[in-house]
Amino acid sequence: METTITPRSLGKPGILSDVLAFYAILRREWTIFTRYPSWIIALFIWPLIFPMLYILTARALSGPDGSGLAVFIQTTGATDYIGYIIVGTTVWMWQNIVLWDVGFSLRNEQMRGTLESNWLSPTWRFSYLLGHTGPQIVSMAMFIAITALEFGLMFGVRLNGSGWMLALMMLAAIPAIYGLGFAFASLVITVKEANAFVFLIRGLVMIFCGITFPVAILPEWMQSFAKWLPQTYLIHGMRAAAFSNAGVNELLPDLIPLISFGIFWLLVGYFTFLWMERRARRTGAIGQY
Amino acid sequence: MEITTLSQPSLLTQLRALFVIARKDWKVFWRYPLNAVSSVFQPIIWITPVYFMGKAFSTNGQATGFAAYSGSGDYMSYILLGTILTNFILTVFWGMGYALKEDMDAGVLESNWLTPVSRLLILVGRTLTSLLTTTITSTAMLIIGATLFGFKPTGNTFAALLTAIPMLVGLYGFGFAFAGIILLMREANTLVDVGSFLVQGFSGTNFPVKSLPYWLIPVSLMLPLTYGLDAVRGLLLETRTLFPINVEIIILIVFMFLMLWGGAQIFYRVERQVRILGTLGQH
Repeated sequence: METTITPRSLGKPGILSDVLAFYAILRREWTIFTRYPSWIIALFIWPLIFPMLYILTARALSGPDGSGLAVFIQTTGATDYIGYIIVGTTVWMWQNIVLWDVGFSLRNEQMRGTLESNWLSPTWRFSYLLGHTGPQIVSMAMFIAITALEFGLMFGVRLNGSGWMLALMMLAAIPAIYGLGFAFASLVITVKEANAFVFLIRGLVMIFCGITFPVAILPEWMQSFAKWLPQTYLIHGMRAAAFSNAGVNELLPDLIPLISFGIFWLLVGYFTFLWMERRARRTGAIGQY
Repeated sequence: MEITTLSQPSLLTQLRALFVIARKDWKVFWRYPLNAVSSVFQPIIWITPVYFMGKAFSTNGQATGFAAYSGSGDYMSYILLGTILTNFILTVFWGMGYALKEDMDAGVLESNWLTPVSRLLILVGRTLTSLLTTTITSTAMLIIGATLFGFKPTGNTFAALLTAIPMLVGLYGFGFAFAGIILLMREANTLVDVGSFLVQGFSGTNFPVKSLPYWLIPVSLMLPLTYGLDAVRGLLLETRTLFPINVEIIILIVFMFLMLWGGAQIFYRVERQVRILGTLGQH
C-alpha cells in the first residue's frame, strides 16, 4: 500500500515574513557590530595610516623645492596631491572592507556552525546577505566621513567641488561594490579558504584603477583592462566631483559605466548566490568548514 | 623541596627542540602553497602604485625631486630594497608574537610551555623557518620586481648584508617584548597591523626620512630601523645617508645589545605575570 504524505510546515512565508526576517538579520548584525567596540579605533586610525605611506612617498617624490610636484600637477591637473591620493585609497579601502565583511559573512556563519540551521528557516535566503550589508553601509559612510574630517583638519584638504555630486558618485557605486561582495560571499561558501582571492581582487584595484596616479600613465594594455573595472570610473568621477565644479553632465561618462557595472555585478552576485545555494545543498557542503 | 624531573636539558636537547620547531613550521608553510605564492606577489602589488605614482612625478624617467632628498633618482631600487628589508623586519619583529597567538588559538601554548625548553628559544625557533621562507619569497620577489621595475645595485652587496645583521638581531629584542604583550593582551591583529604601518612609515621604507615633516623626524630618529635601512641603502645603492655610515653601524650595534637585553627582561616579567594570573591557556 502506498502512503502519500503532504509536508506541513508551521512557517507561513510571505512578503511580511520576509521583511520581518530581513529586519531580524539587520538587528542581529547591528548588535554584533556594536558589541565589539574595537572597530572605533580602526575607524579613526585606518583612514589616516593607510594613505599616509603613499602621501609621504609622494612628498618625497615632490622634492624639497617642489620640482617633482610641478611635474605631477602638469600630468594630473590636480593641485592637491594629498586629496588626489585620499580619494583613490578610500575607494580601495571601501572595496577591501566589503570583500572582508560582506564577502566573508556567510563563511563566518559557516564557521560558527549556524549557517545550516539558518538555511532551514522559511525565509528568503538572499536576505542573509542583504541584512549584513545594511550595517556595513552605515559603518562605511562613517568611515568616509571620518576620512574627510581627519584630512580636512590635519592636512587642510578642502572639498572644492560639490558634496552632492560626490554623494551621487558614491551612491552610484554601491551596486557595483556590493554586487561584487555578494558574488564573492557566495563563492567563498564553496571555495572555503578565500584569502588569496581577496588579495587578487584588491590587488587588481590597486594596480589598474589609479589609486595614486592617473590611469593615462599606464601602458595601453593596462588602460584597456582598467576600463573593465568599475572602481576606475568611481575614482575618476569622485576626484572630478570633489576637486572641480563638475556637474551631472560632466560626470555622466563615469556614472553610466558605473551604474551599468552595478547592474551587471548585482545580477552576477544574485545568480551566483542561487547557483551556490543549490550546489551546496546538493553536495551537503553547506555545513562543512 | 626537591623536584625530580625525567628531562635532562642540555645544549643538545635545546638545539634539537629548535630544529623540531623549525621543521614543524616548514611543513605547515608548504601545506598552503597559495599563501607562499601570495607572499611573493603581495609586496609587488603594494609597490606598483608607487611605481606609477613616481612616473607622474618624473621627467624623462628621472625623479629629480626624490633625488634631491636621497641622492639617487632611482626611486624603484630604493623602494624595492626597502620592501625586501621590511619583509625580514616583519618576520622577526612581529613573527614571534603572531606565532604565540596561533598557538593560543590552537590550544597548544600551555602544553608547549610545560616542555623543558627555554621560552626565548621557543620564540626564536618560530622565526627560523620564517626567515628561510622570507629569503626564498623575497628572492623571487626581487627577480620579478627587478624585471618589472628595474633594480640597479651599484655599491657593496657584502657590506650591506653585514650591516643588516645587527639590525635583524636587535629586532629579536623587540620581538621578545612584543610577544610578551601578546601573551598579556591575547589580541594580535590590530596591534600588528597598526604598529607595522607606523614603523614602516616612520623608518623610511619607501622614502628618505629627510622628506618627513620636521616634527616627525625626531620620531623617525628614535627608531633603530631608520639607521639600518639608511645604512644598507647607502652601502648598496650609494644613496646619501643621514649620518656617516660608520656612525650608523655603531648606533645599530648599541641598539642591538640594548634591545636584546630590554626585550628579554620585558618578556620574562610579563610571562611570569601571565603564569601567576593563570591566563596562559586562555584566548
